[in-house]
Amino acid sequence: MKTKIKPVHLRKLAAITEVKGKALFSKNFIIMPIFSLGFTLLMKVVYNTAAQGAVNMSAYALALGILMNISMEGVYCTAAALAEEKEKNTLRTLMTSSVNGLEFFLGSLIPVVLMSMAVNVLCVPVSGFSMGASQWPLYLGITAACSAISAVIGMIFGIYARTQVSASTITTPAILVLMMIPMLSGFSDILETISGFLFTGIVFDAIANINSNLPVMDAKGAVILFAEFILSVIVFLALYKKNGFER
Amino acid sequence: MNEQYISIRHLSKRFDKDFVLKDVNAALNKGEILGFLGPSGAGKTTTIKILTGQLLPTSGDAQVLGIACDKIDERIYEQIGIVTDVSGVYERMSVYDNLKYFARLLNVPLSEINPLLKRIGLYEHRKKPAGKLSKGQTQRLILARAILHKPKILFLDEPTSGLDPSTALEVHRMLLELKNEGMSIFLTTHNMEEATKLCDHVALLNEGVIVEYGAPEDICLKYNKVKKYKVQLTDGTKHFLKHSPEASEQIALWLREDRVETIHSCEPTLETVFLEVTGRELQ
Repeated sequence: MKTKIKPVHLRKLAAITEVKGKALFSKNFIIMPIFSLGFTLLMKVVYNTAAQGAVNMSAYALALGILMNISMEGVYCTAAALAEEKEKNTLRTLMTSSVNGLEFFLGSLIPVVLMSMAVNVLCVPVSGFSMGASQWPLYLGITAACSAISAVIGMIFGIYARTQVSASTITTPAILVLMMIPMLSGFSDILETISGFLFTGIVFDAIANINSNLPVMDAKGAVILFAEFILSVIVFLALYKKNGFER
Repeated sequence: MNEQYISIRHLSKRFDKDFVLKDVNAALNKGEILGFLGPSGAGKTTTIKILTGQLLPTSGDAQVLGIACDKIDERIYEQIGIVTDVSGVYERMSVYDNLKYFARLLNVPLSEINPLLKRIGLYEHRKKPAGKLSKGQTQRLILARAILHKPKILFLDEPTSGLDPSTALEVHRMLLELKNEGMSIFLTTHNMEEATKLCDHVALLNEGVIVEYGAPEDICLKYNKVKKYKVQLTDGTKHFLKHSPEASEQIALWLREDRVETIHSCEPTLETVFLEVTGRELQ
């Protein structure tokens, strides 16, 4: 049987994106970007104090902040926002009000990715890291791709979460894995190998490479990012096809 | 001939081994109100879910505006409105913004929101967060959202359940207004007074089976086997008289003597019909 791809109406997409975007500024969600920025600032202060000026640790502070932002905001905010729609019984209302699954999916993803991107940009001055003009496009491209992957993973968790509390519970282990493996990759060869296959590990290494004026990302990294994005979309679609956004 | 908006033919739905709907047949014509009346668990909500494309039937056929219920998509959703017990509102958004959101989704001019808010009595509360509304006000907001785009069919699942009598009356008044404006309404209820007052046709549903179907007054007359009159006289005495020539003469005599305070025929209500047919009470 042929699966028909439904058209996306820009009018509906704009309405969903606006409402979802405003929701990100509510107290349930705004804590995530604030926390990421605060964490970046804290790491900058802590590591630069520890290094006593011998080494500039701002790149490391930036990498930690970006890890925190991409993992937490992307996964948690998307999952919790979807769970909230189910918890408050607004999801079914939307889906029976002429909104199709693709419009809802994109409308949910776009604001989270945009918010995540804004924080990725703000983290740079907050961390005190300076980047050349030629490095910015690569930084923005890689962090945008990672934010998008993270948001799709959040949608997958959101399908399983019935409430915001359950969204928080089930996303926590994933967030920890996505954050901790790159953070601890310097202490273990196994973790370093695994980190090389995680989008969070790739963005972590990319920032280190920008700091060292090395090529930001190799072909393997690009392939992994692309493959992880496609894989997460396929997993999401497979789950969505079974029973929509609800399990 | 009236245009048929909903047709249900031999519809059945099974969850695991249990049938919740068995061979259900019904129809809703343009500008009419069809009620599915039955106690909890009778299959009313399942019927609405099938008709609105949220559940697939096990067998049989149901069409909404000429489209099979398993093929319902955005084009149909743009022509129907749905109010169910799980219809939610965006609690952090204001009453106005809730309607504005759906107006944008359904391509309704924003200029139509305030007149609608006035009509449903929520204009004074338009800036209030929807989460701070009372249950009755929330139900009115949900109803407003469902009729915002002037749908051809309005689906209502227990629309007055849990509402105080005056709010329920307001909802009834509004539904009759909508019917008079040409909207077709499919409603489920366990309230027989509501069904009698609002519906052109009702289906009495028990354990997934329609046990009676027709106009409420026709169903009541069909079960009016022992025709009786209840007469209250001016002296306060009450008399139940079976229909007969003698009873007619007696009533005529009381009327001539100007002793009659009230006189009622005693045909059964939908509730007593349901009890007679199923042995179960509706509430």
